[in-house]
Amino acid sequence: MTDVSRRQFFTGAAGVAVLGGLAAACGSSSSGSSPSTSASVAAGTPKAGGNFRLGVTGGGSKDILDGQNIITKPDQARLVTAFETLLEYDENYQLQETGLAQHVTQDNPKQYTIQLRQGIEFQNGKTLTADDVIYSLQRIGTKGNGLTGFAATATMDIKNVKKMDKYTVRLPLLSADSTIPDTLAGYTFGIVPVGYKAFPHAQVGTGAYKLKSFTPGQQSVHTRNPNYWRGGGQPWFDQVTIIDFNSATAQANALFGGQLDAITDLPASQVKVAQGHGQKALISKTGGWLPLCMAIDMPPFDDVKVRQAMRLIVDRPAMIEQVASGYGFVGNDLYAPFDAGYDHSLPQRHQDIDQAKSLLKAAGKEGLTVDLHTTNGAAGMVETATIFAQQAKAAGVTVNLHNDPNYYGSQYLKLAFSVDFWGTRNYLSQVQQGSLPNSPYNETHWPPKSGTGSNFGSLYSQALAATDSSKRIEITQEMQKLEYDIGGYIIPFFGDLIDGYASNVHGLEPSKGTLNLDSFGHGYRTIWFA
Amino acid sequence: MNPGTGGAVATAGLELATPPVKPSSLFRRSLRLWRTRIGVALVLILVLLAIFGPYLAPHSPDAFIGAPNSSPGGKAVLGTDYLGQDVLSRFLYGGRSILFMAIIATGIGLIAGVAIGLIAAYSRNAVDDVLMRGMDVIMAFPQIMLALVAVTVIGAHAWVIVAAIALTTAPRVARVTRGTAQPVVERDFVAATEAMGVPRWRILTGELLPNILGPLMVESSLRLTYSIGVIAALAFLGLSPNPNSANWGTMINENEIALSVQPWGVVIPVIALAALTMGTGLMGDGIARTAAGIDRARGEE
Amino acid sequence: MNWLRGGGIAGFIVRRLLLAVVVLFLVSVLVFASTQALGNPARAILGRNATPASLAALSAQLHLGQPFVTQYWDWLKGLLHGNLGISLAAQQPVTKVISARLVNSAALVVLSGAISIPLSIAIGSWAALRREKLFDTASSTLLLVLAALPEFVVAVVLVILLSTTVFHWLPAISPIPPGSRPWDHGKALILPTATLVIAVAPYVARVMRASMIEVLESDYVEMARLKGLPERTVLIRHALPNALGPVFQVIAINLAYLAGGIVVVEYVFNYTGIGSALQDAVINHDIPLVQALAMIIAAVYVVLNLLADVATILVTPRLRTRL
Repeated sequence: MTDVSRRQFFTGAAGVAVLGGLAAACGSSSSGSSPSTSASVAAGTPKAGGNFRLGVTGGGSKDILDGQNIITKPDQARLVTAFETLLEYDENYQLQETGLAQHVTQDNPKQYTIQLRQGIEFQNGKTLTADDVIYSLQRIGTKGNGLTGFAATATMDIKNVKKMDKYTVRLPLLSADSTIPDTLAGYTFGIVPVGYKAFPHAQVGTGAYKLKSFTPGQQSVHTRNPNYWRGGGQPWFDQVTIIDFNSATAQANALFGGQLDAITDLPASQVKVAQGHGQKALISKTGGWLPLCMAIDMPPFDDVKVRQAMRLIVDRPAMIEQVASGYGFVGNDLYAPFDAGYDHSLPQRHQDIDQAKSLLKAAGKEGLTVDLHTTNGAAGMVETATIFAQQAKAAGVTVNLHNDPNYYGSQYLKLAFSVDFWGTRNYLSQVQQGSLPNSPYNETHWPPKSGTGSNFGSLYSQALAATDSSKRIEITQEMQKLEYDIGGYIIPFFGDLIDGYASNVHGLEPSKGTLNLDSFGHGYRTIWFA
Repeated sequence: MNPGTGGAVATAGLELATPPVKPSSLFRRSLRLWRTRIGVALVLILVLLAIFGPYLAPHSPDAFIGAPNSSPGGKAVLGTDYLGQDVLSRFLYGGRSILFMAIIATGIGLIAGVAIGLIAAYSRNAVDDVLMRGMDVIMAFPQIMLALVAVTVIGAHAWVIVAAIALTTAPRVARVTRGTAQPVVERDFVAATEAMGVPRWRILTGELLPNILGPLMVESSLRLTYSIGVIAALAFLGLSPNPNSANWGTMINENEIALSVQPWGVVIPVIALAALTMGTGLMGDGIARTAAGIDRARGEE
Repeated sequence: MNWLRGGGIAGFIVRRLLLAVVVLFLVSVLVFASTQALGNPARAILGRNATPASLAALSAQLHLGQPFVTQYWDWLKGLLHGNLGISLAAQQPVTKVISARLVNSAALVVLSGAISIPLSIAIGSWAALRREKLFDTASSTLLLVLAALPEFVVAVVLVILLSTTVFHWLPAISPIPPGSRPWDHGKALILPTATLVIAVAPYVARVMRASMIEVLESDYVEMARLKGLPERTVLIRHALPNALGPVFQVIAINLAYLAGGIVVVEYVFNYTGIGSALQDAVINHDIPLVQALAMIIAAVYVVLNLLADVATILVTPRLRTRL
């Protein structure tokens, strides 16, 4: 169904998405087979039937259903039932042309062409055409719609997206941007039909399940799309039911008691319990991270020595052990560990209390007292803050913890010192989200307005414009060096994503992606009941 | 645990029969009952534990001493909690804040409630109506609900929890106070004192208060029980002042999820909380029984 | 308020009704004023995903920033017409958001009441009759222990015992799927109901016991006995009705407590009721939803108290003659 050689070619440039005949990027491919194939090979012959019941925490009456927007985690679980993207990430977080687009090619630094796969039908029988793609991109790119993906469309010349023929779209850019394929693979870039509106309007996507009912904060029911374009028997379940949970304990109990077939975010301490109950834990090494964010323009962190001292205070292996029961890998205050340009050459930071103390002394900040804000926004956020506070004592730093249920209320992004959460992303996409003056979630107020590091923004533009991947890596490593030396993030570790599922559920594979449960079983189509 | 009913239990018991008794002799007399003795013993043990526990703790309550949720053994006599901290040490540290908050909250609620109840009982007019209707309005909100709203709006600070509990304790105390004080107000000696020109506040504190101290003792022990329960319940819902303060309620919340792997982090604070609320409950019950004369025959042998 | 005194039972009921209306009015003022202190709902709703664009979009949708002093009357008018406003988080009428949840919670409360009230009256009466005997001592000790256990502890122990670890007899969670009714899920109701019964029954039983002892020692029971009436008649016709008086108050308060305090039980069992809706609404700063739920819970309290007052008067011959 796919042009395999083209895809392998595409895969070689991890996250840098070099397309359209840039032979330099052609490299080895560690993941040549398509995700659907590898999943089915893994666990025998799929069987049809059954009602897959999934429990998700973090929702509430503010749940929404929109093919291009999310507010809560259950929203993510629901979005992927019915909506698909042009490009997709595989289990290794490599871009693949397995989505709705046959090819996405960069014609020149400021123009992409999207070639749609032919013969794909929406759930209402309408054929997917260029008009739908144009509507979808313009819907995200319209500021007034308030969609999650809006910021990522900044470089797109959204008004001039053009239909070339029934299945071809030309996407012009305002400025060069090599991360467009990454953007198009983001799950909030779902393709919706012309005229689409969010729930309570009818939900029509190209995905494997049709919406049957949805009550925000409670549950949604999705029924099998018999006309699903991938064929081959997919999807396998007759029905998918997604249930909201307030309490992680109730959620785990429901799995153990057999009322659910899978749950998101099984606490690390419960892995053994789940196995004891005859259930399984899906442990995915993702690039998810829980940073301690220091605002570089707010005291005491406006002094780079204080930031450096804080980074030396952390005992990273102990933090993995305590917060994640050992399920994770050490971080080096840099994000995007799966990016091809991730700088592995920078020395790993270790706890060094003496050095931290002398830095604080040099800054005139001995016996420092700081307020650290956190919340139960994602598993581990409160624990990370707690353990940092404990470790900081050794350096004579007093950390006052504030666990605020309304953390993301009026104070978010205005705090000097706070904990936040992020999922897997490639480097430049992440920079665009959180490390530029116009980023929607810039917790550290990076980059500096003057002096060292003030060229970060122009480096970013250069990296986006670079069509040569080695050149781009060179620039991004220069950016990483700046963040490593004087940045505001403390990134102690990358935590594994742990989900629980019943032993009769097959087809789930560990994935490096952002979403839980193997990207929710690729829209619930690659998993089945034995 | 039912924070909404204490006033009613006490009221119902007290309105039936409240012979005026001197509080000190009432307490001494109630001690002849086994339930009071057990209650007093439990409360004493836990109060002592809360006060002196931190001096006995083998580790700091937030020190990392082993893998999370490890079983008893080695450095951790009762194993470690969800963050690899010593369960025993956290338990020994964990009584203070909860007991402290409960006592302060109950104390404020008691003082306010008694003041309002006495004024209402004494004034016997529109002031009485206005005050008691005001109390009705506050009572219309269940304790836990008011605390939940307050904590989410203002933040999970200790003073917010204390204030919310004090605010919801006061009307229940006021009701009991007014109920028991009213018959006393009707009696001749108050009128006599009034006629002698003694100031009202003097009459309230000097004459009325001693006469209703017995029932108030019962009420305060019950109120304390519910305050402890509400604080623990809030902590269970994840709303406690400091995310990592050692606190019995928070401990239950933190370690509940690992209960089947490492039960001690939950079981020990549960036992302590149950023993504490049982102790105050037994004490109150013993005093109430003595006051109500239910066990008079036995008590005066 | 002397003009309101007198008038026998009818007068008493009218007086109580008016009083209830006054209290409810004051409650509405308090609820409206205090919920205005909740912060910007747009931020609270969007949470981590709030971008400047989405914030602006939602704020515009919610018409935030209008003066609220005059809004009180509009709100009250809506309230009286059964219009509870639009939930900010769900973007749907509040009535639509909570109606099914209201039924679910009511079912849970009524079921718990229907089981715990007769049960506790029976236990309390029996203990009073067997005063200081084995049953009395055993039951009162057990009830004290149960009363001391926080609800979440009871709930957690029940789940471990009956659904997840020891036995697998009952479901560990009890969500009521939209479109169905609680009574379609009988098995799922057992654990939440049991938790609430354990939370409530000890209190009612204790008051029943105390009240029954008081009545049994009273003159008129003595009189009835002296008249040579059979003990059975004495107990059921004379003692029980009089003993029930104070118990009604406790039952009312307990049912009202259940209406608000089910927060914890609904949380543990993931039950779809107003307790979990309240928790959600408070976190989202969903002002109309918090207001509606607070008013409903307060109204339940006021109405139950009213009913208890009337029932007490009607059932207690001593009090009836005093009017």
